[in-house]
Amino acid sequence: MTSPSASSRKALSKIATNRLQKELMEWQVNPPAGFKHKVTDNLQRWVIEVNGAPGTLYSNETFQLQVDFPEHYPMEAPQVIFIPPAPLHPHIYSNGHICLDILYDSWSPAMTVSSVCISILSMLSSSSTKQRPNDDERYVKNCRNGRSPKETRWWFHDDKV
Amino acid sequence: MAKGVSSAAVQAEQLKQDGNLYFKKNRLGAAIDAYTEAITLCPDVPVYWTNRALCHRKRNDWARVEEDCLKAVQLDHKSVKGHYMLGLALLQREKYTEGIKSLERALDHGRGAHPNSYMVEEIWQELAKAKYQEWERDSTKRSWELQNLKESCEIALREKHGHEDAADSTSQQLADLKLVFAKAAEADIPTEVPDYLCCKITLDIFRDPVITPSGLTYERAVILDHLEKVGKFDPITRETLFPSQLVQNLAIKEAVGAFLEKHGWAYKMD
Repeated sequence: MTSPSASSRKALSKIATNRLQKELMEWQVNPPAGFKHKVTDNLQRWVIEVNGAPGTLYSNETFQLQVDFPEHYPMEAPQVIFIPPAPLHPHIYSNGHICLDILYDSWSPAMTVSSVCISILSMLSSSSTKQRPNDDERYVKNCRNGRSPKETRWWFHDDKV
Repeated sequence: MAKGVSSAAVQAEQLKQDGNLYFKKNRLGAAIDAYTEAITLCPDVPVYWTNRALCHRKRNDWARVEEDCLKAVQLDHKSVKGHYMLGLALLQREKYTEGIKSLERALDHGRGAHPNSYMVEEIWQELAKAKYQEWERDSTKRSWELQNLKESCEIALREKHGHEDAADSTSQQLADLKLVFAKAAEADIPTEVPDYLCCKITLDIFRDPVITPSGLTYERAVILDHLEKVGKFDPITRETLFPSQLVQNLAIKEAVGAFLEKHGWAYKMD
C-alpha cells in the first residue's frame, strides 16, 4: 500500500516556497498570540506550540500542532494535526485530527498559517466540555493505516460546542 | 501542383518544422541551417527569425540573437519572443535601459495574449533581475556621491566654526547634517513593501493586479489559478466570482510602478 502522505511529501513549488518564506518572516515579526513556531530548517513542515488561552478550559495546557504543506500551497490547504496527546475537545480526535471546515472544504488561499492557528485556538477557547467526539474510536481505527485527515470525508460538526 | 508563391511558403513551413525537430534534439547547427533556408524562401515570416534567434541564444551568440530579433520585431511589433530575446541581447552588451525597455514590451504583449503563461513568468523574472541590477548600480553610485558630499559638508562646518568656542553648536549642526543625509538615503534602504501593494495570496508585490467585484485586488495569474483549482469564489469574501469579472486594477498598477521607481530593491526575487 502506498503511503497516503506521499502526495504531501512532494517538494514545494516555487510559488509555495516564496509564499511560505514570506509567512515565516511575518510570523517572526508578528506571531499570533499564544503560539510559538519551533525553528527548524524545514519550510515544508512547521511544528507550532499552542498555549491554551487563559480563562478557558485549556489554560496552562500546551499542545503541539504539526503543519505540512503540499506542493501547491496555498492553492491546496495545509495538513494540520495535533501531535498526540491532542487536547480533549469534541472536534479533535485522539489521533490529533481536527474537524474544522477551513482545513478542508472551506480552505481559501487567502488564509495563512497564522489565521489557521487563530481559528484553532478560538475553537479550543469556545469549548465548554472536555471530551472526545462521539465517533472517536471508530474514526481513529479507520485512520490506522496512516490516512491523512485531508482524505477524510468530513461531516462537519455543529459550530456550537 | 502548387504554384510559385504558395509552394515557397509550403516549403519554408516544412523547413521550419525540420528546424524545430533539430532544435529539440539540440542539433543547433542543423536547426539554424533549416531556419536560414526558410528565411531565404520567405523572409517576411517573423517566427523563422525568432526561432533562429533561439538557436543563437542557446549558443550564446548574442550579436546574432540581436540581429534576428530586430528583424522579427520589425516584421511584427507585437512579437513577444522577439522583444524578449532582443532585451536579453541588449542587456548582454550592457545596454541596460534599452534592454529593460524591450523586456517591458515583451511583457506587455505577452500578458495581452496569455496572462498566466510560463513565458510571461520567465520574462518577468528576467525583467526583475535587470531592474534589480540597475538599482544596485544606481544606488551604489548615489550612496557614494552622498557620502562624499556629507564628508565635504562636515569639513566645511568644522572649518567655519574653526577654533572658536562654539563646540556645542558645531556638534549640533553635525548631528543635524547626519540626519539630513540619512533621510536622503532612506529610499535606497531595503525595508518592507507596504501591504496594500501586495497580493493577499502571494504576499508579494503586485505585477499584474486585477480587482474583483468585492473591491479586492489580487495577482492576475494567481487568482485565475485559484478560480480554476479551488473554486469560483473570492478568496477573502467568498462571494461567487468568475474569471470574466476580473478587471485590471490600473490605480494599483500605477502605485506599484511609482513605488518600484523609488525603491528598486523591491525587485529582488528570492
